[in-house]
Amino acid sequence: MKILIIEDEKQLVKSMAQFLRQESYVCEVAYTASEANEKILLFDYDCILLDISLPDGNGLKILEKLRENHKADGVIMITAKGSFDDRIAGLNLGADDYLPKPFYLPELSARISAVIRRKRFDGNNKISFHEIEVDLLGKTVSVSGKGIELTRKEYDLLIFLIANKNRVVSKNAIAEHLSGDDAELMDKFDFIYSHIKNLKKKLTESGCEDYIKTIYGLGYKFTA
Amino acid sequence: MRLLQVSLRSLLLYSLILVLISIPISIFSIRQIINEEVDESLALHTNQFIKHIKSYEYLEDLEMDLRIWDQLSYNITLIPSEIISAGQMYETVSMYDSIEQEFHPFRTLSSVIIIKDKPYLLTIKMSLVDNDELVMALGIVQVILIVLLAAGLLLLNRSLSRKLWKPFYNTLNQLKAYELDKSESIQPEKTNIIEFDDLNKTVSHLTDRNRKLYLEQKEFIENASHELQTPLSIFQSKLDNLMQIPGLTEAGAVTILDLEETAQRMARLNKNLLLLSKIDNDQFNEIEEIDLSALANKLLSNLKPMADIDDISIQASISPLSIKANSTLLEVLLTNLFHNAIRHTNANGKVNVNVTDKVLTVTNTGNPLKMSVEKMFKRFSKEGNGENSSGLGLAIVKKVCDTCRYKIAYNFQDGVHSFSVTF
Repeated sequence: MKILIIEDEKQLVKSMAQFLRQESYVCEVAYTASEANEKILLFDYDCILLDISLPDGNGLKILEKLRENHKADGVIMITAKGSFDDRIAGLNLGADDYLPKPFYLPELSARISAVIRRKRFDGNNKISFHEIEVDLLGKTVSVSGKGIELTRKEYDLLIFLIANKNRVVSKNAIAEHLSGDDAELMDKFDFIYSHIKNLKKKLTESGCEDYIKTIYGLGYKFTA
Repeated sequence: MRLLQVSLRSLLLYSLILVLISIPISIFSIRQIINEEVDESLALHTNQFIKHIKSYEYLEDLEMDLRIWDQLSYNITLIPSEIISAGQMYETVSMYDSIEQEFHPFRTLSSVIIIKDKPYLLTIKMSLVDNDELVMALGIVQVILIVLLAAGLLLLNRSLSRKLWKPFYNTLNQLKAYELDKSESIQPEKTNIIEFDDLNKTVSHLTDRNRKLYLEQKEFIENASHELQTPLSIFQSKLDNLMQIPGLTEAGAVTILDLEETAQRMARLNKNLLLLSKIDNDQFNEIEEIDLSALANKLLSNLKPMADIDDISIQASISPLSIKANSTLLEVLLTNLFHNAIRHTNANGKVNVNVTDKVLTVTNTGNPLKMSVEKMFKRFSKEGNGENSSGLGLAIVKKVCDTCRYKIAYNFQDGVHSFSVTF
């Protein structure tokens, strides 16, 4: 799957590309708006990561150009401005998601897979990992064809881990993903721990292999 | 005391002293002038008299005539004298005036003349203005003068302070009402008075300059926060990649987590600073009807899992309330109040949220404040060393309340902190 990163900060681009390539995404980079304009007309991408403030122009113009040319590429806006107006304008111009800086790369990765799934499968939305199958539309999870009951948070956690499979995801990234701004209240990570523990228990009880590995005190890794 | 009263007081005092001093001086000088005039005419009369009497050579029986003379003439006496030496002497004497039946001052000129080898004393007198009368007349004139002067000055002062000082008070009132973060620049009234125009120009210049500096500073904070977002993202993304390195040791993993937590703290600080400056810049001005009770319930249910970790119980009694407000600001307000309550509640404590009659009350059990209430709402004032706290939460609460004109009150009683916001 092909991803275009439109972002002028070279270090950030380097990290993003490094992280996403592990997921077997093909990453292309445009450091300027003019480079980006060229690329979007020549190629189709599964997902475009678009920084709104570029040295030679506003990212919203690129979004307009995409729509003018009837391109169906998924777009995630990335911005340091975090301004409400930009967000509304971007979403109105057909951006699929919005991620304010600074962000966790696992969060970005989860958003990218969500956007790609939505673009690709048009409603019939299922993801699977070995014996685990998730129906994104019905929000149900089954292990080897047998349904299991998950709470909302456990479900979100599972999707997040699958989107970041084979990678270490820190507790902070999980906390932020699950509870947004409220994450700052958590002095301890008992909250994450209890969700992970419950999810693990429910999966293994239904005969699933234990894919959730604890990485020291740092976080978790979902891997076969 | 007003400035004009001070100057009026000095003016009045000065005129009073001047008038008082002028009374004896004028009496003295008037008297002097009169005396000189009288003396001159006395001398003239005496000369004429002597000339006349000397021409009457045939006067034989002068002694006899003189007696008759004396009875006829009121102002001139001529009596035989023992003193032979010739000479003249002026003096002022008080004599009984038989016509007016009272004492009057007279000016006399006594001269010794020799007629037919016999010395005579010639005294010519003239009535003077009465001293008392003069003093009285002058006094009355001066008192009237003082009264007129004082009344005139007072009236002038009153109308001047109204008219002349109007631009000054106008500028003063504008300055009093001036708020750096809200008001536009001061619009002084144009006057024709150099000092006022000068003052107004200086005031306008000063306020404009302050405002400019303030705006620049505000912009700087906002820009700085924006600019920090990108390096923070880079930092975080490098950490995310670092975690993926195979063969990570436990010590390495712990260090990465510590770094990540620090990065997160920076990001939150930055986010809150940005939020504060956005509120300052009036970037949240879209007002809509918001169901406050639904919002409060939603936020509280999200927070329940966090509260459960420390066995904090959340009790809510929320009656339906809809208010017109900006949704972002209202959410920020409630979130920060709730976070604050949960953060400062001891384990097994209680948080109570109450909404009635346009008043939201959030109470929580906890230790008494160590800092002053005023300081509590200031930026970066932290109670204890909660590492996860940015120290900006209540400053944001205060800012939102100030911006939206909500009233916020705090009190602590029986181990319970209570914040109430009146919408």
